[in-house]
Amino acid sequence: MSLWVDKYRPTSLGKLDYHKDQASQLKNLVQCGDFPHLLVYGPSGAGKKTRIMCLLRELYGAGVEKLRIEHQTIVAPSKKKIEINTIASNYHLEVNASDAGNQDRVVIQELIKTVAQSQQIQSSTQREFKVVLLTEVDRLTKDAQHALRRTMEKYMSTCRLILCSNSTSRVIGPIRSRCLAIRVPLPSTEEVCNVLTSVCKKEGLLLPPELAKQISEKSGRNLRKALLMCEACRVQQYPFSADQDVPETDWEVYLRETANAIVSQQSPQRLLEVRARLYELLTHCIPPDIIMKGLVTELLRNCDGQLKTEVSHMAAYYEHRLQLGNKAIYHLEAFTAKFMAMYKKFMEDGLEAMMF
Amino acid sequence: MDEYDELFERQDDFDDQFADELEVLAEMEMDSSKPRGRQSQGPGDDISDIEHLLDNQPITPKAKRQKQEAGVVKRLFSTSQSLESKAPSQSADITPPSSPEQFEPSHTFRSAPAELDISGFATFPATPLRPHTVAPASLRVLKRPPLEGEYISVTDSSGTRVYLRQKEDAETKIVESRMVPNSQGSLGLLALPVSVMREQEAERRHQQVVEESQRLSELLASSVNDVCVEPESRDDEVEDDDDGDDEGRTSRLWVDRFSPRHYTELLSDDFTNRCLLKWLKLWDTVVFGKERKTRPARSDRQATNQHTFKPNQGNQNPNRFKTKMEMTEEILEAELDQYKRPKFKVAMLSGPPGLGKTTLAHIIAKHAGYNVVEINASDDRSAEVFQKRIDTATQMKSVLGSNERPNCLIIDEIDGAPVAAINILLATLNRKDGHGGEATTETAKKKKKKETILLRPIICICNDLYVPALRALRQQAFLLTFPQTQPSRLTQRLAEISLQQGMKADTGTLMSLCEKTDNDIRSCINTLQFLHGRGHKQLNAKTIQSIAVGQKDQNKGLFHLWQEIFQLPRTKRKRIGEGFEEAPGSGGGAQRFQHILHLSSSSGEYEKVSQGLYDNYLSMRVRDPNMHCVCEALEWLSFSDRLNQMIMHNQNFTLMKYLPFLPVTFHFLFAHTHVPRISYPHSHHEATSRLLSSRNALSSMLADIPACIRTRISQLSLTLDILTLLLNIISPKLRPVNPQLFSTREKEQMRELINTMLAYNLSYRQDRTPEGQYTYVLEPRVEEVVRFPSLPPHRQLTYQAKQTISREMEQERMRRAEQLMLQRNPAAKDKDKKSAVPKTTSNHQQRLENIVKQTTVETRPEVDFFGRAIAPKPQRAQKSSDTGEKCPVLAMGTAVGNSDVWFRFNEGMSNAVRRNVYIRELL
Repeated sequence: MSLWVDKYRPTSLGKLDYHKDQASQLKNLVQCGDFPHLLVYGPSGAGKKTRIMCLLRELYGAGVEKLRIEHQTIVAPSKKKIEINTIASNYHLEVNASDAGNQDRVVIQELIKTVAQSQQIQSSTQREFKVVLLTEVDRLTKDAQHALRRTMEKYMSTCRLILCSNSTSRVIGPIRSRCLAIRVPLPSTEEVCNVLTSVCKKEGLLLPPELAKQISEKSGRNLRKALLMCEACRVQQYPFSADQDVPETDWEVYLRETANAIVSQQSPQRLLEVRARLYELLTHCIPPDIIMKGLVTELLRNCDGQLKTEVSHMAAYYEHRLQLGNKAIYHLEAFTAKFMAMYKKFMEDGLEAMMF
Repeated sequence: MDEYDELFERQDDFDDQFADELEVLAEMEMDSSKPRGRQSQGPGDDISDIEHLLDNQPITPKAKRQKQEAGVVKRLFSTSQSLESKAPSQSADITPPSSPEQFEPSHTFRSAPAELDISGFATFPATPLRPHTVAPASLRVLKRPPLEGEYISVTDSSGTRVYLRQKEDAETKIVESRMVPNSQGSLGLLALPVSVMREQEAERRHQQVVEESQRLSELLASSVNDVCVEPESRDDEVEDDDDGDDEGRTSRLWVDRFSPRHYTELLSDDFTNRCLLKWLKLWDTVVFGKERKTRPARSDRQATNQHTFKPNQGNQNPNRFKTKMEMTEEILEAELDQYKRPKFKVAMLSGPPGLGKTTLAHIIAKHAGYNVVEINASDDRSAEVFQKRIDTATQMKSVLGSNERPNCLIIDEIDGAPVAAINILLATLNRKDGHGGEATTETAKKKKKKETILLRPIICICNDLYVPALRALRQQAFLLTFPQTQPSRLTQRLAEISLQQGMKADTGTLMSLCEKTDNDIRSCINTLQFLHGRGHKQLNAKTIQSIAVGQKDQNKGLFHLWQEIFQLPRTKRKRIGEGFEEAPGSGGGAQRFQHILHLSSSSGEYEKVSQGLYDNYLSMRVRDPNMHCVCEALEWLSFSDRLNQMIMHNQNFTLMKYLPFLPVTFHFLFAHTHVPRISYPHSHHEATSRLLSSRNALSSMLADIPACIRTRISQLSLTLDILTLLLNIISPKLRPVNPQLFSTREKEQMRELINTMLAYNLSYRQDRTPEGQYTYVLEPRVEEVVRFPSLPPHRQLTYQAKQTISREMEQERMRRAEQLMLQRNPAAKDKDKKSAVPKTTSNHQQRLENIVKQTTVETRPEVDFFGRAIAPKPQRAQKSSDTGEKCPVLAMGTAVGNSDVWFRFNEGMSNAVRRNVYIRELL
């Protein structure tokens, strides 16, 4: 527990640094000792998980923090064994069902049912329900999500579900309607700066406000990343200087270079080079949709107003296909090629307009 | 037969080269002497009949041979003999066969090589041959009035009316209308005007002349022997068929009916045939006990070589690499091994289907005097059964019946056999023990297990020589690859068959059939039979082109397919003759479309194919300045990807039919006249394996992260946010000094670093590079997961720093492990604690106190007379202490027992000074 991220993570709803209104609402929600199924969503690094854990602590007391990792083996109907790790306390169970890949439906069905079906023995001392925390719900397959629908209703008396996802767009409607949706937005730049300063203070360090601002901007207001960056800065150089360079994640740098390569030249040969880079990104476990998003963000910086809408439209089109398909590289490359064609045409048109 | 003697005289070296072949032929002749005799005496008048056909032909010097050929022609046409004799006027039309030596195109309109007179067929009527002989009566008594010719209607007493055809008119008309169109064409009975037919005829003849001249030159070049040998065996077969199975005719496959029965009838390549036969003859020594013939000197042989089948190249250049043929020859010349077996115990025939591999093996084995035992894919080829069958076939011999010949095992379709079975075969080949001649050891071994060496030839047949299962066998086998059957020979055979079956088909048609089936004999004959069964009595090139059968659903290699896709077809040299469509693949868009579609759908490996296209299309030389083609291609790729996903996910396999269109699109987008350089698609596989390895690294890292941290991070956040920065954080600047000398601040930093690394399950492991240097590498290897090539490298810790960290981590880990152990069993801890701190003191203190007490004062509880404890006693004691009277016990205790170290004298013991020491105090 020595990274700052872990060390200074708030553990109760009262201690949360930002979105205090929401925190108090959550407190009120569990005041009566019960709550509906929750769907907590928001971008990564906004503090969804922290909030959920605070909520659970509010509900069950410090006992939720005694966690253990359990390896579970589930046998699918096809006799295939699925290994999955769960993190559990006496009161709740956390599962990332998307670890099971295509077999996540089986995991949902089996695991949640066994948890939900078992009644609490001593309901006088404990709550009468357990909580199942499902993370990365948006990466669940449709089958698994459908498998969840009935389970949610059927075992309402013994179990509450908290679903945690990055966006609701990939959660099917029936599930959204069964849950109380809680959006956890990213903290604002000031909030990030405040958190960084207070953490540094606790560490006995002095953080110049300029650096804090720079970090929070570079991290894209992702608090986890901001804290890590801050710590990396600390390791790199202390005392801090205001214009220190902030270390970045490699994949972002690489993606930016790729985007630059696309903009600088448009030809099949360049496309071949870009393909190699895209493969590189994919093999470093960067999800294709994030590659696509990052690529578009970088490319849009080089586009004119008119082209911007077209490019984003194409990006949405190919991203959708990417979700439907299986081989991400085809769709990423298709987007790249399309962009190249569009950009080239745009540039040539612009050149002609200049000539005449 | 004397003509062989004649041949021998003429060609001395020939004897050597074809010794085995000739031997077999000699045997064969003895078999066939009976029918031959019949033939020679029987059709004496026939010969004369034919001879008058020959009158406009220059007399050949080899009269004997000529005569025989004529006989052949005679026999082939025996069914139509009566017609022939009735229409002698047509003799000018029927071109008599000429011997190949005499061939001169200028002399005759069209001429054929001796063994197969195709030219004759064309003019003979196809229709009246077989179908009419079945019911000759009904030919003249008809239920309805005949379409042509005169007839008489007859009504019988019961009122049924029949029509009688006037015989002589009809007969002549049929003949005349077909045979002599020029004389009777004016009757208007012909479908086509005479002039048109004439033109067609002339054109066809011209075509045949050209083709046959080509073929003849080939034949002449290869070997003269076959030419003169083939016909006589042919007519044997014809005879067989004619008198043999009239009733089973319709049910039997033509492929079986017309399969070769003798060595000379084989259509496959002569060289291959000869090699296999030679190899089989090598077994004679061990199987039949014949002595091997002594071979003439090597130089002789080479001359023969040169003469017979390498007339141009020869061995003029001694430094040249040996050709494959010579290599094969050499193998066959190699010495026998110690058991007098040939060096290679197994012959392996390989080649695409329908070239006659199985037929060749059977026929050669039969001719060489073996009894054929065949194992093919339809048999159970599990290891045990296979072993049993091999043993049975190679070690036993049938004793009952006339079939007392030794076995020759033919393992057909061996490329489909399981590896276990092939291993058994190999084991059988390599058996060494036993048969050396030492009787004593042999008997001893025989008692244990009966294992004898292989003494019978085995012939394996496969389509694909490079199946992984055959790898080991390939090393030990005499490999024979089948070349393509020569289209000319195949066409001849087809012509014979169609003639016999009464189908009318010209050479051009048959050639196109051969081309369509890629010279697959079986496929050709099957197609012919199919057409015959459908009632096509007259074939032309159009029918062949349009019909869907006969097209093999074969898959050429993937590379071939990719090549076809990326290469525009060359415009092929236009073939002779008008009936020919252009070859598939050339020509217009529609044909190219169909061609590629056919190829891709027959290959079936859509996944591989599209991957190959994806990997290669960008390196094609296509001018595409606006990248439209590329966009289009990727559009299609992503379409097929979605299609695949749909197929796999929903099991909706009907969508599969849309997959082969992807290659077609690519063909139209990227095909170029240049020969494309295609590389095998590795990228996808490589990417998946790399992805897997980085996933594994991440999950192995995640697996041991403690739960309180584990719950906050996922694999995704690890790769996206944490890992790069974490690696930065755990490589701080450390002073390269002994950690003992660190300042408190540095120590604090070090402690934090180690805590972090432990929390995130990272550690350094000492590793030795191939250069022999020691390095510390981060374990698990997540560094590779987050680091990208071509980015500036991150700061690395020095070796010393890593070493220090690693050592400190070890210590920290031990500390934690101990703590954990203590936590695990709190009872032990409590006891330990008691014993460690208070008990150690109390232990010796108590003991000392007791000793002191015992020696100084008796501290017995005071009791009264009845044994009851007296209450006020302690009070009094306190009082006494209060008053300042030193209790002797306490005095003693402070003096002796209060120090940590104590000493007790034990006589003869050295461990007098004791102290409990724990690991944690040493760390």
